[in-house]
Amino acid sequence: MTFGRWIAIYGPSYLSGLAWTALVALGAGVAAVVWGTVLLLVRVAWGRAGARAVDGYVQLFRNTPVLLWIYLIYFAFPLIGLTWSAVICGGLALVLQNGAYISEIFRGSFRAIDPVQFDAARSLGLSRWGTFRKVVLPQVLVYSIPALGNQLILLLKDTSLLSAISVAELTMNAKLLTEQTGAAYEAFIVVAILYLAMVVLLEATARWARHTVRWRPTRHAL
Amino acid sequence: MLILLVKGAMATLVLGVAGIAGGTALGVVLAALSFTRPWPLRSAYRLYVFLARGTPVLVLALLVFYGLAAMSIAVGPYVAGSIVLVIYASAFFAEVFRGGVLAIPAAQVESARSLGLPPLAFFRKIIAPIAFRYALPPYVNVCVMIIKASSVLSIISVWELTLAAREIIERTLDVFTVLGTAAALYFLMCFAVDRLGRRTERDLMRRGFMPERA
Repeated sequence: MTFGRWIAIYGPSYLSGLAWTALVALGAGVAAVVWGTVLLLVRVAWGRAGARAVDGYVQLFRNTPVLLWIYLIYFAFPLIGLTWSAVICGGLALVLQNGAYISEIFRGSFRAIDPVQFDAARSLGLSRWGTFRKVVLPQVLVYSIPALGNQLILLLKDTSLLSAISVAELTMNAKLLTEQTGAAYEAFIVVAILYLAMVVLLEATARWARHTVRWRPTRHAL
Repeated sequence: MLILLVKGAMATLVLGVAGIAGGTALGVVLAALSFTRPWPLRSAYRLYVFLARGTPVLVLALLVFYGLAAMSIAVGPYVAGSIVLVIYASAFFAEVFRGGVLAIPAAQVESARSLGLPPLAFFRKIIAPIAFRYALPPYVNVCVMIIKASSVLSIISVWELTLAAREIIERTLDVFTVLGTAAALYFLMCFAVDRLGRRTERDLMRRGFMPERA
């Protein structure tokens, strides 16, 4: 069967997988940013112990493959009584892994904040939590936008690993189609094109965000 | 059980080394391609890097495995897995090498040109050593990434550490111990590579020029 005909017949069946992939990527992305913020808070608020703890956490997830964590959460949670769905288990693994990388991104952005701002915040009477909420967090988030865009693309590619625990996303879709129709490479070429299209979309969005959001620190006269 | 996991770790190491070695070789060729003058060659480079980095490793692996079968090329799983890792790694290594060359301050290149060296010697004595020093930290990062990417090959039944762990779990249901040990083995391998890179950086810093880590 020619490639064109194959797309015409089986094209629409990719839509549900595509939707699931996008949904998981966005959900895990938002959750990972939240988790990265929590890790930043631990690093900032709990001095050397906090910094060491977060560093240990980051090292753990930098030196182990994410697939291992997907399996661990998926197989182990039922054993301790949590019967969550495969999507949640896999999504949790993705959040834990990418949260580690995002906390490193936030750490770099945190160092970019001029220390004089912390003195200014204290002289204004802001509490430590207030400083974090009103001074640190907005700037860290804005400075991190380029790196976060990159990380989101990596997260999108990692969602394909959820097919290992039978989540009905795009790669799983392709595997099922291959078994049903016996076509070898057509299914996967379409899937590759779809992933590349999503990556292009994300890169364009990241470029737009870099131009629109004024993320360079504006120089105020002191 | 532990012995099985260690054997799996060895398989992972073999795959990783094959991917890193092949990826470095191909990556050097690709990076050289990116600096040529004819625009079709540079566009080919950009296209290759976009395709190899934009597709997930799993999809790349499925494409290679099914593609090889469709072309009736029969290679073992480890060879096919190594091919996947080489393709994936070469794109990242090429960008790392390219970045290393571009990071050389222009003033140094200009003043070196005034020496009047022939092109090959110019590359060997000026460009290569400096670019190598700039590229070392991200190079080590990509090496660790390739070792972790080998775990994805377990989904297509290439026997390595992750698949070994999964097999043991399916038989004994001893999830925490088995996966914990597997994680520790991965950690050992990746951490060792990272430490090796840091020691090389330190030695280079002692012996001469080496830009400090940010």
